[in-house]
Amino acid sequence: MSGSADKITVNGIELEVLRRGQGAPVVLLHGMDTVSPKAPFLDLLGQHVEVIAPSAPGFGNSPRPADFDTIYDLTHLYLGLLEQLPYEKVTLMGLSFGGWLAAEVAVASCHRIANLLLVDPVGIKIGDRETRDILDVFNTNPADVKGKSWADPAKAPDYDSMTDEELVIHARNWESLCLYAWHPYMYNPQLKQWLGRISAPTLVLWGDRDGIVTPDYGRAYAKLIRGAEFALIEGAGHHPEQEQPERFVRAVMGFLGD
Amino acid sequence: MQAWYLCENPYPYVPQEVLDNVDSVRGSLPNRYCDPKVAARLYEECLDEYRLCNEMGLNIISNEHHAGINCLYGASPLILGILARETKNVRILSLGTLVTARPDPVRIAEEYATADVISRGRLDIGFVKSGGSEMASANSNPIGNLERFWESIDLIKTALTAHDGPVSWEGKYFTHRHINIWPPPYQRPHPPLWAATSDPETSVELAKRDIINATFVRGPDGTRKSWDAYRQARKDAGMSPAGPDRFAYMGFTYVGDSDEEGLEIGDKSLWFLRVGARSAAQFSRMLPGATPAAQAPVLYRTAPPPTLAGGVPHVGRPAAAFRNVTAEQAVQRGVMFAGNPDTVFRQIMEFYDKVGGFEHLILMGRSGFMTHEEAEKGIRMFAKEVLPRLKEVKHAPVA
Repeated sequence: MSGSADKITVNGIELEVLRRGQGAPVVLLHGMDTVSPKAPFLDLLGQHVEVIAPSAPGFGNSPRPADFDTIYDLTHLYLGLLEQLPYEKVTLMGLSFGGWLAAEVAVASCHRIANLLLVDPVGIKIGDRETRDILDVFNTNPADVKGKSWADPAKAPDYDSMTDEELVIHARNWESLCLYAWHPYMYNPQLKQWLGRISAPTLVLWGDRDGIVTPDYGRAYAKLIRGAEFALIEGAGHHPEQEQPERFVRAVMGFLGD
Repeated sequence: MQAWYLCENPYPYVPQEVLDNVDSVRGSLPNRYCDPKVAARLYEECLDEYRLCNEMGLNIISNEHHAGINCLYGASPLILGILARETKNVRILSLGTLVTARPDPVRIAEEYATADVISRGRLDIGFVKSGGSEMASANSNPIGNLERFWESIDLIKTALTAHDGPVSWEGKYFTHRHINIWPPPYQRPHPPLWAATSDPETSVELAKRDIINATFVRGPDGTRKSWDAYRQARKDAGMSPAGPDRFAYMGFTYVGDSDEEGLEIGDKSLWFLRVGARSAAQFSRMLPGATPAAQAPVLYRTAPPPTLAGGVPHVGRPAAAFRNVTAEQAVQRGVMFAGNPDTVFRQIMEFYDKVGGFEHLILMGRSGFMTHEEAEKGIRMFAKEVLPRLKEVKHAPVA
């Protein structure tokens, strides 16, 4: 199963799934954007594990059914997916927005989760009521968002060199992210108090130059999960898997044990 | 024909060097640039202009926008409260409260019913889809905006027409278990309903709901397209044909003693398009859902590829297409009526013929740096010299 994109149906909802590599299964929940099949970290990770990366409804090429529009829907969809996959347990890895979803799934049930990896996740409220933890990516000028997202903004996707199809997918992702995460912005006020339920071994990874949501937020996040480790990826912003693929995969495999 | 006067009460007194260095004049411009003492003068002048409209028999429109130099009226119902009491002769249209930017449509219904009662049945209720920077200002999700728009209209209508004790609403976007507004509206079953939109898809929905369709800065071709869709939708639904009373067109309007004066003062109101409409990418073309995802290749690339450059509809709010428009071009494109009384009447009637007739002309009046005196002169000239002729217009029989 190398480089293939296929489909899986959960509770009647069709999901596009990107698969890469062989080995222990890792379910990868994408962030604000879907995972590009060209992303170098996929091949690097695929040398050690089998990556199973579904696109959430409304993201990538996954259709979004009517009335499927909340974090509640996404959480139950992914719980269903983990039950349906032919593995007793998987590693659940979530990037950014997908990290929020991975935390929600793990809070609901860790029965199918061998390990949990949260990479620059959002989803909880740490600061006081007048301190926003997460940059408002919708109400901030796109140039500023780009500057805060990447340690080296030159590594940001270049819209001019993307194909039409890639740009359309990017726009779908943007719309869907807004649908799910507009309010309360990028977090579930109830999630924090339940993170203690997570029983799977957990690694919280963070780009040391993340300007969307800071490493301090990540440290606070990790403290709320029993026994969770926290580690920084040097030279990375909000997308360490893209900006520092080698360091990222090394950190992941160091945790999972190769 | 009937005429309606609208002034958005803009605040143009922000230093040019500030305007040159911000990405948006709406949504994010700090309010330290708005001097409340100057604002107080503007409210007084603009409300006086509305009072003059009342004296001159010109109907009045109240609207709202939020957090920007384009409009100091942040809450249409608040202004309606003043107008309902201060005017006696004319109708008052709220076009409108931004219903998708308010969490509780029942409260909107309550406010509208109150204004209708205070004015003893002189209120018309209009709905505006909203979008752009208003989504940020109101913390409203831009995704689902249109669906929320329709549901809020339905809920407001339900609240206005329920008279036998609390009723319940459990919709997708709004829930309310105990709807029982006091007072109920003065007009029964409810005040006339309007909506401002310029896309044919929305016009179709308005037709089915028998809501008056107002269009703005679309020019004759775009307007005709929307209204034809409206007419056709009525036919398709087996409803009575849409008469001219279902249509309203809004144009910048200024009547002077001479063509030169009309154009010169009218030109000042185009500030609304040139400066007042400037909105940052995150509030306009990059706003999630503002443009279909299929248009992303045009939106995101710095220069659209030649194969896509033609035939792709303009994105963003319509005003963006008029940023550098001159007064003469605005007249030519049917977005402004300006000149001496004869000229303005002729321009309006030319437009009237091109779009197949309409009952309601909306005058976008004072804007930008137009002075209070200029605005009042324009109102007087229009009401005395043009309005009587418009009232004489006999619509062709409805086919």
